[in-house]
Amino acid sequence: MLYDHVTGNIHSFDPQCHVELRAQINKSRRASMLSGSLIGNSRNEASGVCCRVYKNGFYGFASSAEYTDASCKAVLNAATNNADFLAKHVYSGKPGIAPLPTGEIRVSQDYPDPEQKYFIDFIKEVDNYVSSKYPTLISRVVSASAESYEKILAVADGYCTHSILPRSYIYVVMTAEDNSGQPIELYEVFGGFGSFDMNFTDSSALHDKIDRLYEHLCRKKEAVYASAGIKTCILGPMMSGMLAHEAVGHTVEADLVLGGSVAGPNLGKVVASEKVSLVDYAHTAFGKPTPLPVYVDDEGTKADDALLIDRGVLVGFMNSRETALHFNMTPHGNARAYAFSDEPLIRMRNTAVLPGKDKLEDLISSIDDGYYLINSNNGQADTTGEFMFGVTLGYEIKNGKIGNAIKDTTISGVAFDMLKTVDMVSDEMEWASSGFCGKKQPMPVGMGGPSIRCKVNVGGK
Amino acid sequence: MLYKTITFDQIENKEHRDTITYLREVLSKCVDGLVKAGATRYICSASKAVSNEFNVDGGEFSLFRTQFSDSLSLTVFVGDKKGTVNLNSFEESSLDEAVKTAIASANAAAPDPDWQVAPKENPAVFIGGAVDGNNDRLFERFREFIDTVKADYPLIMMEQAITSHSGWCSVYVNSSGTEFATIGGNYDFEIMFSGHEGDNASSFVVEGLSENNLDTPFIKKGRIAAVLDETQRQIYTKTFDGKFTGTLLAPPALLADLLFSAIGNFTSDSSIINKTSIWLDKIGKQVADSRLTVSFNPSDERIVHNEAYSFEGFRSKDYDLIKAGVLTGFTISAYTANKTGYDRAPNSSGAIIVAPGDKPLDEMISSIKRGIFVGRFSGGEPSINGDFSGVAKNSFLIEDGKITAALSETMISGNLADLLFNIIDISKETVENGGAVLPYVSFGNITISGK
Repeated sequence: MLYDHVTGNIHSFDPQCHVELRAQINKSRRASMLSGSLIGNSRNEASGVCCRVYKNGFYGFASSAEYTDASCKAVLNAATNNADFLAKHVYSGKPGIAPLPTGEIRVSQDYPDPEQKYFIDFIKEVDNYVSSKYPTLISRVVSASAESYEKILAVADGYCTHSILPRSYIYVVMTAEDNSGQPIELYEVFGGFGSFDMNFTDSSALHDKIDRLYEHLCRKKEAVYASAGIKTCILGPMMSGMLAHEAVGHTVEADLVLGGSVAGPNLGKVVASEKVSLVDYAHTAFGKPTPLPVYVDDEGTKADDALLIDRGVLVGFMNSRETALHFNMTPHGNARAYAFSDEPLIRMRNTAVLPGKDKLEDLISSIDDGYYLINSNNGQADTTGEFMFGVTLGYEIKNGKIGNAIKDTTISGVAFDMLKTVDMVSDEMEWASSGFCGKKQPMPVGMGGPSIRCKVNVGGK
Repeated sequence: MLYKTITFDQIENKEHRDTITYLREVLSKCVDGLVKAGATRYICSASKAVSNEFNVDGGEFSLFRTQFSDSLSLTVFVGDKKGTVNLNSFEESSLDEAVKTAIASANAAAPDPDWQVAPKENPAVFIGGAVDGNNDRLFERFREFIDTVKADYPLIMMEQAITSHSGWCSVYVNSSGTEFATIGGNYDFEIMFSGHEGDNASSFVVEGLSENNLDTPFIKKGRIAAVLDETQRQIYTKTFDGKFTGTLLAPPALLADLLFSAIGNFTSDSSIINKTSIWLDKIGKQVADSRLTVSFNPSDERIVHNEAYSFEGFRSKDYDLIKAGVLTGFTISAYTANKTGYDRAPNSSGAIIVAPGDKPLDEMISSIKRGIFVGRFSGGEPSINGDFSGVAKNSFLIEDGKITAALSETMISGNLADLLFNIIDISKETVENGGAVLPYVSFGNITISGK
């Protein structure tokens, strides 16, 4: 656990400025096997202290890998000097940061940090299972990953906090030859919040899931090209979660709104069918902890949920304290920093389309000619809301029934147009939390949703 | 850029010499600990860096950030078993813990005889680039750029702009007795922006470059001014119905994306170990149009980020991956080379240079009957066989030899391996951004789909 050198420095903060002093340690453990060879075996730690000062309308920031009482004072001085540098050269005219209620939330507990042998032995067991049961695979990758982010934040106004966010995963990638001799690939990720030895105690618990992945791969060997054009599709939970994050979430980050995203002129307007609601959850959703809970953000804002789309109407943005003041909104704790050397940026936490009342089987049976799109290997979106997702696992739907698997393809559209075509929303809900969002800094984020029926442009032949 | 090679005694700056001495001491302690704990081979490095960074958000100056960074990496072998620890602390207790953890990680691994430490190289200090940054000058160049965009490109909204200087000292040692030190630095510049008029907006664009000096205004570097101009003309877009097969005109940024996708699929470590590369039997054979030569030349004077040596400790050398359309090898590490029997790549294959052609860009455009200029490709990962499809961002229709309407909701698809044989023209002009030197290339037989 981090020793607290930061909180004792609060008394030296300039009361005319907003000051954040943060100590942090990020740990990651990785082990990876490629077709039986251990190609990755590493343990990484990056720790230090940083300070951000908001003064005269500018942020000054400084960080040091050295974490001592003296280095806390040094980064405080350097950050103040940096804010002064900008004020000397440019006029801002921006107001100060609005004060927040003060308090303290300490949710830290010491999570176990298994030795590297535990990771390696576990993936060996999984790899042995895959290689012995499915010997015809061209190649296989089994990887283990565990990360934790421990922070102590000291602020004069807002919430001080000490928190730890651990997450851990197993990745399985299978490559086979399709019927024409071309390599095809599928992957699956298992795990979530918690240390590795909390999430993975028995490798046989993954066998059923691995078998299902292989069944999909076998179907994909006979995959057909999707037919290009606007199609009625079901986006499974992983795809609707990606839609929530990439195509809508980024456009409603207030810094991107200020940069001209499509959300700005659409606030208060209908941007989706009334079956669509979308929330960026902080720490609790549907009565359970979110996959990656955030209780206090890195500006000292006590975190709660940000309602973004309410029954089709765009009702809010995700804000920092600075942008919340600009838009006259309430900050919900979206200012997050990845490493000790990073400043907080407006980031998502656990972003989801809310489940509806329909049954997945009814969504499928309602489609005469369309696609059921289950998994993706990447997604990108524009500030205009135009999005593109790669589809790695999907099936035709013909006359209300699941048909052939389809070859890798892409879907695209404009979020606020496409969301208006959503006419059925299933009642199940799944989360994914293994990914990093990229926006100057990486950031672990959760995303999720139900299955939704919509019209979307499918790439293909 | 070729770093100057000197000896330790020839380091003139006392601060650099002291830092290098300190890093050598840190590594010496680690190596002693590793050897005592049973390491049979090792690769270790340590560095100290300082970075100063200015940020503009929403068109306004927002942040000045300073980072003091340390890093230490210990890769250790116990016999043929390998483990790695990376950390950013040089405290005595941290070093002891790192040594213990590295040894424990190696002991937990399965033996693999293909891991390699390069044979001994002569000790050297590599020095070059903008070692000592000038923050005041950097800020003035940055302000000049922001002011120029506001004045000359009134429809551009600068969503984010970042410029920084980084300077570093590092030391590398391995168990063959090699010791390298590096003293380097450079300036980086990155902008994300879009065009706006009323509620109408273009797609966003990201452009960046690296520099060793601040002699030239940022607006005059690379394609920065051209892309700002194109973005202002992409606020109002058209869509079209149906699809056609036509020509793709790729500016340098898109060419880099396409080539690195092909390299990732066909010549990378995983594709060669897995034997999933469709170029597995293509060394010495034609894989592209004979006018295409793709080189990786970190010592080229137009490349800012030098690479003096590989992780294993081999001195880096420039090389051609594809020469006149013929594949010369794979972009693989020494480990993959040992595992598969192919030759390792002579460097880490990042500093990409494509040889120019002989046709001016204007003539290339005039010869295109129907096609598309694509500034940015937003696509899924290409399939292992090279099939790709995705959205053509920041794009224009080309009709009868002229660039016409800006497009939206347009997809392009094709196959990366086929694409390299379908080159129509390579431009005489090249564009440099500090990391790459690339021409414009036009490709035929691309499927272009509208709504």
